[in-house]
Amino acid sequence: MASPRLIPVALRAAPVVTLTVLLGWAIWDVSAIGDGRWIAALFAILGIGTAALVVSFVFHWRGIRAIGLIAIGAGYVGAHALVLGVQLVPALVFLSVLISQVELRILAERFAPLYEAGLRPDERARIHGALGRATLRLTIAAILSVVVPIIAADLAVAGVVPATTIPTAIALAGALVGVVALLALMPSLSRRAA
Amino acid sequence: MRTPLSGGLAAASLGLLVAGLALRSWQLVLLALPPVIVLALGSLFPPARPRLTAVRTLSRDRAEAGRDVDVHLVVQNTGPALDLVEIVDVLPREFAVLNGTNHAVVSLERGGSVPLSYTVRSPVKGDFRIGPVRVRSLDPLALGAEDAVLSVDARLVVAPTMEDLRRTKLQPRRTRPWFGQVASRQIGAGTDFWGVREYTAGDEVRRINWKASARLDRLFTNEYEGERSGDVVIVVDARRESFIGTETDNPIEHGVRAALGIAEHVLASKNRVGLIVQREVLDWVPPAFGRKQLYRILDHLTHVRPGGEWPFAHVAWVLSRFFPRDCLIVLISPLQDRAALNAVIAMEARGYDVAIVSPSPLAIEWRLGEQRPEDKTAYRILRMERDNLISQLRRVSQVVDWDPATPLALALRRIGTWPRPA
Repeated sequence: MASPRLIPVALRAAPVVTLTVLLGWAIWDVSAIGDGRWIAALFAILGIGTAALVVSFVFHWRGIRAIGLIAIGAGYVGAHALVLGVQLVPALVFLSVLISQVELRILAERFAPLYEAGLRPDERARIHGALGRATLRLTIAAILSVVVPIIAADLAVAGVVPATTIPTAIALAGALVGVVALLALMPSLSRRAA
Repeated sequence: MRTPLSGGLAAASLGLLVAGLALRSWQLVLLALPPVIVLALGSLFPPARPRLTAVRTLSRDRAEAGRDVDVHLVVQNTGPALDLVEIVDVLPREFAVLNGTNHAVVSLERGGSVPLSYTVRSPVKGDFRIGPVRVRSLDPLALGAEDAVLSVDARLVVAPTMEDLRRTKLQPRRTRPWFGQVASRQIGAGTDFWGVREYTAGDEVRRINWKASARLDRLFTNEYEGERSGDVVIVVDARRESFIGTETDNPIEHGVRAALGIAEHVLASKNRVGLIVQREVLDWVPPAFGRKQLYRILDHLTHVRPGGEWPFAHVAWVLSRFFPRDCLIVLISPLQDRAALNAVIAMEARGYDVAIVSPSPLAIEWRLGEQRPEDKTAYRILRMERDNLISQLRRVSQVVDWDPATPLALALRRIGTWPRPA
């Protein structure tokens, strides 16, 4: 594990660096569009997102931070879905990095103050452990969120699963809605059972 | 418990799914998977449900407003290890944390404990409860949380500060049969010379006036003015309309401080003191002597909170039913209600002595305001209205218009003996 003095610096820097990478990536892709009207519209969305992030950082308005991230994500996905065409692997990596950026910011908000406040050796070991487990989970989640859709696409393209039929699309959509609903309701269901 | 992030991920997934179906793009449908995968991992490793115990100790359970109180809280984990747990010792909003913190985010192993030490100060009086301790076991990736409440309450009674009125001449004019320190204008046991009369058998030898006896060739005895005690009833106006200003700077808080100072001063002069408080309920303490009575009054004043709309007529009714007639009534009110004038006239008509201490709401508002030119005009108009009311009240009773920024003793001393002699 890195030095206790370096950890909070790295934690604070990670989300900023990730966000800069995401923004640069989105701007690069949007600027590759030939049509001026699309460029103007998508740059406007990215501009709104950047402004929201800057305002939320300067004035500590957490409410509009989400708007900034959604706008950057929407700008990238919109550019590819509507004009450039979606390239699966880069799009999955972009989305995965976007989710990781949010998680990294949360990790920085939770763990950096603990390191900055000064820890006793036993506390430091526990916090190191918790941070290590969280980082490992985040890494696994980021890898799986890229690999699983690629495998699914591969299976569909190879014809192992007939993914191009309407019943399959409806079943897939229904399954996704069901999973999302179950995941969203699970905590309240478990509390009711307890 | 769901977190905003888990809700956002679910919404993003659904949005991408719907967009993919609408645009007939299988790539967009696949983009709906990453948020679901992150959510699924979060659900596979939910944060542990916290099972903790806590013990809190206070350096004192009674304090004066503005005094520091040290709080020491030890939270022990009796359940599974918690990766990240947020602990908050809930404090009343009036409290300010001076040293240390009542909030911590720590990692707690099974059987581990975390101490929290901090110092609090309350600028206002009241009967406060510290606690409960709220605990939240956090998923480090913010995909879930588990809450727990530890019912560990501690009571802290914060008494109002006491005005120093030692040099104030504040005493009832009418006396009762008990010995005290108020000149009764009757012959009795005392120290002030009253007159001389012829000696009768049984008179004390030290009271014989030897000069008069030698001159007139008969024995004469000195007589002294008896010192008795009287009754004072303090009426505190804590109605909702009297609350003007802030939590710490308002006529009710200052009125309570004045009432406690007056009660202490009058009780120290061996008089009886009673109390009536106009708040949500009309509560009262019957007149009595001594230190215990001061604590009874202090207890009632500690619980005073603005509220209620009792008219002064009800106070007059309580006075006539439960309090002696020939007492001095000290009304502590900001005089927001013009009905006070009629009430005071009615009380004087019934034979009570009435004195008024009025913590000026105008002075408080003026200090808190921005003091713009238009405010100055408004202040002058309101000042005239208040002066008019006070001058009308001064025809029937003694009124102290008190700016709470100055000590009450100073305001009382400016008017000399109080209440004025009949």
